Amino acid sequence: MTERLSPRAATFGGLLLWFAVLGGVLSWTVHALAAWSIDELTCEAGHDELAGFPLTGAIALAVLLPAAGAVAALGVSVLAWRRTRADLPEGGEQSVGRAHLLAFVGLWLNTLALAMIVLGGVAALVLSPCQR
Amino acid sequence: MPSSTTERGAGPGTEVVERLTAEWAEPPTLRGWFSTVDHKRIGRRYLVTAAVFFGFAGFSALAMRTQLAGPEAEILSPGEYNQLFSMHGTAMIFLFSTPMLFGFGNFLVPLMVGARDMAFPRLNAFGYWVFLFAGLFMWASVPAGAAPNGGWFAYVPLTDERHTPGLHLDVYTLGLLFLGISTSAGAINFIVTSLKLRAPGMSLNRVPVFVWAIVATSFMVIFALPVLNLDNALLFLDRRFDTRFFDTDRGGNVLLWQHLFWIFGHPDVYIIVMPALGIVSAVLPVFCRRGIVAYPLIVLSVVAIAIISFGVWVHHMFATGLPQLSYGFFSAASTIITIPSGLQIFAWLATMLLGRIVVRVPFLFVVGFIVTFVIGGFTGVMFALTAFDQQTTDSYFVVAHFHYVLFGGAVFPILAAIYYWLPKISGRMYSERLGRYAFWLIFVGMNLTFFPMHVSGLLGMPRRVYTYPGGLGWDPWNLLATVGAYVLGLGLLLVAVGVVHALRRGAPAPDDPWGGDSLEWATSSPPKPYNFPVLPRVHSLHPVWDPRTAESTGPGATEDRILTDGRQTLFTSELDGRYERAVRMPEETLKPLVAAIGLLTVFVGLLFAWYWVAAAGGALFAGTLAGWLWPAHRTPEEAGVPA
Repeated sequence: MTERLSPRAATFGGLLLWFAVLGGVLSWTVHALAAWSIDELTCEAGHDELAGFPLTGAIALAVLLPAAGAVAALGVSVLAWRRTRADLPEGGEQSVGRAHLLAFVGLWLNTLALAMIVLGGVAALVLSPCQR
Repeated sequence: MPSSTTERGAGPGTEVVERLTAEWAEPPTLRGWFSTVDHKRIGRRYLVTAAVFFGFAGFSALAMRTQLAGPEAEILSPGEYNQLFSMHGTAMIFLFSTPMLFGFGNFLVPLMVGARDMAFPRLNAFGYWVFLFAGLFMWASVPAGAAPNGGWFAYVPLTDERHTPGLHLDVYTLGLLFLGISTSAGAINFIVTSLKLRAPGMSLNRVPVFVWAIVATSFMVIFALPVLNLDNALLFLDRRFDTRFFDTDRGGNVLLWQHLFWIFGHPDVYIIVMPALGIVSAVLPVFCRRGIVAYPLIVLSVVAIAIISFGVWVHHMFATGLPQLSYGFFSAASTIITIPSGLQIFAWLATMLLGRIVVRVPFLFVVGFIVTFVIGGFTGVMFALTAFDQQTTDSYFVVAHFHYVLFGGAVFPILAAIYYWLPKISGRMYSERLGRYAFWLIFVGMNLTFFPMHVSGLLGMPRRVYTYPGGLGWDPWNLLATVGAYVLGLGLLLVAVGVVHALRRGAPAPDDPWGGDSLEWATSSPPKPYNFPVLPRVHSLHPVWDPRTAESTGPGATEDRILTDGRQTLFTSELDGRYERAVRMPEETLKPLVAAIGLLTVFVGLLFAWYWVAAAGGALFAGTLAGWLWPAHRTPEEAGVPA
């Protein structure tokens, strides 16, 4: 890990690491806000479809697309965690130890985010959208 | 584990120390008292002021428990009871817990990261004065009989002008808006301090858990508080200027209040508990004579809780008739958030299991915290299940739950912190015997007060009732709770006696009485105005136990970490703590105090509808701010312009 990276590669690597850390929870945020607001506002208005699209389908999209985002972030975080794991001598390069910690945090954050999205999807499977 | 200054490195000579003292010491005058920007003095003031507000709120609780000791009591009128329970909750949440923990943060964060002050010392002083004035603004309403009376979450339509006339809810909305300025300023300061002022070498994987917790809390404040401010501003506009945000007859929506309040309110539970968890992670390992187990998992837990806590607010609204599927999304998050919380508990248990335990008073309070917080967490998981929540909502079971979470999760760690850091803050040791008596009284009193509330709640006793009829099976549980409250009060009084005793008669404290691992133990007790004669270079997660960090403050220390030319500290990079440059820090000034007085005038003017007074206060505030921010004359070198 001592070779110098080009500025472009360093920027891209940094962005990828932040995606690995926060991609899952951003996906979950999109899921929670989209699925909840679609369900609540549509039901409140007395409709069972959204712009001609069945409400159940819209909620399914609000589950599946964020789930795909969380899976992608999980994959990137696993890669980052494995790549930085090999370079952790005591007192070694500070940035490697820090990146390893962030990748580890991202790995488990993404797992938790994916679990929340899946549980929301399960709720969408067993409950009809406007049941009160 | 080096524990004395000699072992940690001799440090610079007397000439350097004298120059640093000349630059950083503040004059011991009355003006100096009002104009201080020293984070340690401000931190101590936060602690004392929050403790006084805690005392007020505690006496309110004792009055309420006395009223509820038996059925049909007439010690308090319904109106008085409503004001007392509203102020009790509001003060414990807003005027005690967060300011107390921010007080510890103020004192400790710069020391723990190896800096000489907070990033914005004047903003720090301003935050304290605003907190003090906002607290006085709200508490002054109690003797005037105009205190908030709609509960700490002030649901509309109960709190609109038609149902609650008078100043009560105006005090609430304006008081919290006023206080929010202080909390936001403090949060910004913590974030910048922790990201930019860390000692060289302190990369993110070497940051103490307490600092992680304070930073996460600060980010939560930044995202959550604007929502509460918006909610309070809308309610004030509805009440004062007849707008219609919450008026259903005119197109408003009462659930809007609840959504906005709990988007703030649930993260706020963690805003209160998170720094307390950080305290536990700082105190526990020291008394287990080893480093914390699973540091990366604890960091994960802190970050995860800070984020997920924003997606669980609807579990406070499970009885409002929203679609079941909506509940499902929030129930999922409410269940998953228990995982990171549980991770910390297991990490602490593992630390105890693998360590060599030394039982001292701070450790006892940490153990008390674990027991009570786990019980509160357990009933919390029950509330994540919609069906159970709907059965027990608005009952005393809820009161029992959140007191286990908040007293267990915040007050026990705060008490541990008081005993743990008192030697560092005051330079004096406390009496171990008094501390142990206090712990047992508090532990027994707390459980005796709040455990019976689970039973009375399950038996159907609603919360927020000023009295109740006899013969419903609630009488013995209420009596037990009242006895417990007095035992608890006695224990807390003993803590206060112990602190005063330590300040007056305590033995002088060594620099590191516990063998701690974080940087605050690497300096004198109490710390000098400049904190560290040499800013350390950090080589590990446990800098005080690490000889390389100790050597970095020894005779070979370079001038770029001594910085005697004016008030200076170091900027380092956000992620890896790489040395960037020295920065100048501001000197003491009265401007923060004057600006806070300007704001106080604004809010008093708004409360009494004296708008010209509010405008005058606004002008004073704006003028002071302009003077504060006016660029000082500096040479190009001082301004950082390259030659």
